[in-house]
Amino acid sequence: MLKKTAPLLSSAALALALGTVSASADIMVGVLVPDSGPAGLFGPSTRNSAALAAEQINASGGINGEQIELVFADVGVPPAEAAQAALRLWKGEGVKAFVGMHDSAVREALIGRFNGQVPYVYTAVYEGKSCADGLYVTGETPSQQLEPVIPFLAEKEGVSKWYLIGHDYNWPRDTNALAKGYIADAGGEVVGEEYVPFTVSEFDSSLQRIKESGADAVLVTLVGGGSVGFNVSFAGFGLDDQAIRLGTLIEENTLAGIGADNANRLYSSSGYFASIETDMAASFAADYSKTFGSDAPALNGLGQSAYEGLMLLAALANKAGSLDVAAMDAAAEGTTWSTPRGENTLTGRHMAQTIYLADGSGGAFNVVASFDNVASSEACSN
Amino acid sequence: MSSVLLLNLAWQISTLALVALGLAIVFGKLRIMNMAHGEFVMIGAYAPVITSMLGLPGWLQLPVCLATVGFVAFVLERTIIRHLYGRMFDSLLATWGIAILLREIVELVFGRGYQSVSPPLTGTFSVLGADYPAYRIAVIIGIVLGFIGLYLWNTRSKVATQIKAMVGNPELAEAIGIDTARLSAGAFVFGCCTAGVAGLILAPTVRIEPMMGLDYLIRSFFALVVGGLGSLEGLGIGAGIIAGTQTFLGAVASQTYGYLAVLTLSILFLWLKPNGVRSSSH
Repeated sequence: MLKKTAPLLSSAALALALGTVSASADIMVGVLVPDSGPAGLFGPSTRNSAALAAEQINASGGINGEQIELVFADVGVPPAEAAQAALRLWKGEGVKAFVGMHDSAVREALIGRFNGQVPYVYTAVYEGKSCADGLYVTGETPSQQLEPVIPFLAEKEGVSKWYLIGHDYNWPRDTNALAKGYIADAGGEVVGEEYVPFTVSEFDSSLQRIKESGADAVLVTLVGGGSVGFNVSFAGFGLDDQAIRLGTLIEENTLAGIGADNANRLYSSSGYFASIETDMAASFAADYSKTFGSDAPALNGLGQSAYEGLMLLAALANKAGSLDVAAMDAAAEGTTWSTPRGENTLTGRHMAQTIYLADGSGGAFNVVASFDNVASSEACSN
Repeated sequence: MSSVLLLNLAWQISTLALVALGLAIVFGKLRIMNMAHGEFVMIGAYAPVITSMLGLPGWLQLPVCLATVGFVAFVLERTIIRHLYGRMFDSLLATWGIAILLREIVELVFGRGYQSVSPPLTGTFSVLGADYPAYRIAVIIGIVLGFIGLYLWNTRSKVATQIKAMVGNPELAEAIGIDTARLSAGAFVFGCCTAGVAGLILAPTVRIEPMMGLDYLIRSFFALVVGGLGSLEGLGIGAGIIAGTQTFLGAVASQTYGYLAVLTLSILFLWLKPNGVRSSSH
């Protein structure tokens, strides 16, 4: 009996201690991260990046003079459960604003639940087409990742025959719909388009079609493990001699799975790579490894996006003078702030940002071009 | 039919037969529904990751694979599996738990991220007028030779006859002096080791991460459902139909239709012919 009471007492003491800590923090910010599920791989780097952002915000005076404290919730679960978790933070713990890195289904569920009553920054790469009161997006949309990059690669690599392959859902389909326009504008043509179910882990027949199509460039919108499997086999068949590859969601973890042997002429387009060489990016990467150790989860565009989201929240709330949605919506257009990604501007509630094109040959990303201040074609009105 | 399609068929069918072999042994001979089968494939695929982390030479990949997979399988057999022989539903639940445990352990040791492994043979090789990855051709030949060897062993060896006796009538087998406990343990560890070797062989051609085992479990079950339990011929037929359908339809139509056909076939077999094309005496 005594043995059982002791931990109970100590956990009560802990709760009291935590209670006083949270009471002394002025503003609670909910950070929604995928700790489980298919995107669970990105949970740790997302949490770490968010923690660095909070430290940075508090060191430079907090939000409207008040310090912030982060509260995390796992949203790597079905949308209805994720919305419940967010609701608990909002109504239960008094969270005043949210930053989320998760999939689109969860975002739509959250928009429905928040109903424009609490500011919400969405930070993941996504297909676009999402507007709501109180919603601000920092993630790259397809227009940003492709509009400057496709003509650049067409010129640099002399490619014109594009094959489009992706998983069968809306992000790849919406990406490719836009890509076709940019390819045509660059004087190229689409020689094949294919969508595969998530359950498929073998890409032999797709690779054969790519070979027969005579494509000299492949736009890859497969995600996660599918992207790894596809790219490994792609190089195994020697297709890396025939065609370059361009991916819009190939980050550091995916590249590690593809491996140095299989990454010849594999390009990735993103707002962030761990190897960006600007001063801010270098000091961010240095802080990250100093705080979390050299064997911390690898930095990548998805994880780092939580930093971007929190910095936008602080910049916007400071500009608006409050965390009130109406005031923030009114102040949103034209908000500018600097982050490891570069100089950012909020236009149409989306983040105009620097887009980097990196070459993964040799198994590590080497930034070969950067495009400043690329605005999204997505535009939400105020 | 193009020659690449033929080679793709050979690759898919032979690798599926190898992956499903261990499941066929453990399920067919011991009546253990091994839901952790895919995790043994996964642990095998991590063997090259282990050797490169420790800076060991490449030829140690196979010994490291057999040692890790064999050790894990032996410990599990002695502690959990041996209590479950013949209890199919209980074994399903227990091995599902084991599968989760093995995934978590691998995640703790290696992290959740993807790993990559270089193939021992690189480049492509020209066969039947098609450029095909040299490593895959070597693997196809190796698997075919391996299965021929296994078939010969199965028809001639004394151990294979003892296993048949044990499966047919355990009490009588014990009465004539067959050590069924040792034989079962041996069969379980052997079955898991074939899964591990399959993982090692596939490692340079697939994604490697703690969750990868699930793909292999499902496809192996489909192959056994269609082919039937208890014989090498059945295993070959099952792997041929499942991998063949997926690959052929994936090439002439689309991957979606290929996968749909595999699911439909599996359901039809479970419904109309639950013992598969070739079933043993059970």
